[in-house]
Amino acid sequence: MTITIGSDQQSTRSLTTARPSGDRGPRPKPPHRRRRIRPDQVGLYGLLVVAALTALLPLLWMLSGSLQSLTELLSNDSLLPASPQWANYVTAWVQGDLGTYLRNSVVYTGCAVVGILVVSSLAGYALARLDFAGKGVFTVVILAVMIIPAPAMFLAQYKLLISLGLTNNPVGYILILITSGIPMSTLIMRSFFVSQPRDLEEAASLDGAGPVRTFFSVILPLARPGLAAVAVIQGLGAWNEYLMALVIFDDNALMPIQRGLTAFTSGDTPQQQILLAATTISIVPVVVFYLLAQRHIVKGIGAGAIK
Amino acid sequence: MTSQPILAPAAVRVTRARGGGRPLRRNLTGWLFLAPAIALIGVFTITPFAQAILLSFQSWDGVSPDTPWVGLANYEFIAGDVVFWASMRNVLFFGVVGFFLGNGIALGMALAVNRITRGKTFFRTVFYLPGVLSVVVVGLLFSFILAPGSGVLNRVLETLGLGTLAQNWLGDPAVALPAVAAVFIWFHWGFGFLLFLAGLQDVPKELYEAAELDGAGPWTTFRSITWPHLAPVTSIVSLLTLLAALQIFGTVQVLTNGGPGYHTMVPTLAIYNEAFVNWRYGSAAAMSVVFGGALVLLSVFQLAITGWRSRR
Repeated sequence: MTITIGSDQQSTRSLTTARPSGDRGPRPKPPHRRRRIRPDQVGLYGLLVVAALTALLPLLWMLSGSLQSLTELLSNDSLLPASPQWANYVTAWVQGDLGTYLRNSVVYTGCAVVGILVVSSLAGYALARLDFAGKGVFTVVILAVMIIPAPAMFLAQYKLLISLGLTNNPVGYILILITSGIPMSTLIMRSFFVSQPRDLEEAASLDGAGPVRTFFSVILPLARPGLAAVAVIQGLGAWNEYLMALVIFDDNALMPIQRGLTAFTSGDTPQQQILLAATTISIVPVVVFYLLAQRHIVKGIGAGAIK
Repeated sequence: MTSQPILAPAAVRVTRARGGGRPLRRNLTGWLFLAPAIALIGVFTITPFAQAILLSFQSWDGVSPDTPWVGLANYEFIAGDVVFWASMRNVLFFGVVGFFLGNGIALGMALAVNRITRGKTFFRTVFYLPGVLSVVVVGLLFSFILAPGSGVLNRVLETLGLGTLAQNWLGDPAVALPAVAAVFIWFHWGFGFLLFLAGLQDVPKELYEAAELDGAGPWTTFRSITWPHLAPVTSIVSLLTLLAALQIFGTVQVLTNGGPGYHTMVPTLAIYNEAFVNWRYGSAAAMSVVFGGALVLLSVFQLAITGWRSRR
């Protein structure tokens, strides 16, 4: 499996679809460039449309239901809102305190991603480029740690955070998020650095720059494609994290959005259309991000799965 | 002055590229780069992992500073715990269904998308869309859709004249487990799809052209070209899908909280409830050791089979 995330030629042909010509470099033209639907593909399209509807309809229903009144929502008349009840969104935002939860999620996700990028690019670079005793041991530890599943650890992580005084504490949560992202991100960054040419580092080292200085002034600015892949995939993971947020936070003012949503649900049992509006609000950031950064996300998922 | 690339004699390049300097200093630099990773993993992963094992031989109510040793009592307790073993059976069902049905859909759709000429990006975007949602969102959404009276699925079935198929999807012991498994597949198959699609695009086109020239049919082509080339992807997708299915938690907690009874209970939720609802952290830790150990064995087994060492 050759999914690379480097800026080298391979990446142009890795996970991108429907992009017949690469942006750079001459490539042999595909044999046929016909973009018309052939008759033998009609069945395939039928199948794909059914699958696409299955994926989309629940979400479209959520959108539609979030704009209906409760009587409309529970009646059997129509699946579409007669007149959109935008007030549902205001109610959801205010009653559900979504502003607080979303702000917390943005902060936690941002801090976690920055932390993961710093730690994993340092470690990935060391594994790819530096020679030192014990490198193999560290690689084995990374692989072993990646195999330990969350269900085996979350209890003890909770106990540890208690003894560190870090429950109900953003710092504790962010540190857990960073740690859980390190193994996979380090391996992604390692394979990214391995795919990079060495010329610039050699030039920098000839100029008398040590490894640390070379890393920060030469390597890191050029590592953007690798960093982007790690950032999008870990950003999604941190935004959607639920188990540790459930365990760590009792204080509503500190909860991230996923935990906040369940707190809202189990609170004063708000009405269904309000909950649908709250759920819709909660997915807006992640869906917009997905549609904008889709190519990076697809690459990141591929890179993350290689291990 | 520092950033100008210099054309240097080859000999110098080679020695400098080896990362000159004394060994001690070189080792220190290496470990300096690794220090943050080692510190975090050491404190927040390896320590808790060891603590979980120790805690499984102790008794703890989650509050008191006292955690007396109780030997194997926790393990004896969970050995007879009906809920825990029901959760293990249920999750095995999720694993099998996710593995065969989920991966089957993922592979089939990847093959279909790979063959069409227009709209690849559209279908790829739509198919992975559920995958970017959180387990909470998926759980909430389907708890409304599958609700017995007012749920939209039952209403749609009645409108279509299929009212006899309407069910109390999440409340009837006979259908709750398959219903939750279906939600998991809806949520998760796009992940395998993406990886299969990427794998398919790496199969050299010349092979297909040669097969076509030789007059090979679609099935022969799939058997002798596509499937062998996909083998590495298939093994990765299989393992990751299986692990995701076995660790399912949030979706189940929000959808059914393990009910009715414990017909949709899963191990992670059983562990959570044992600790944070029943205040028995010791036996919860014992469950997490048993269940986590099984997952680790599964990963090791799979990695050993696929010979992960050969991949560099």
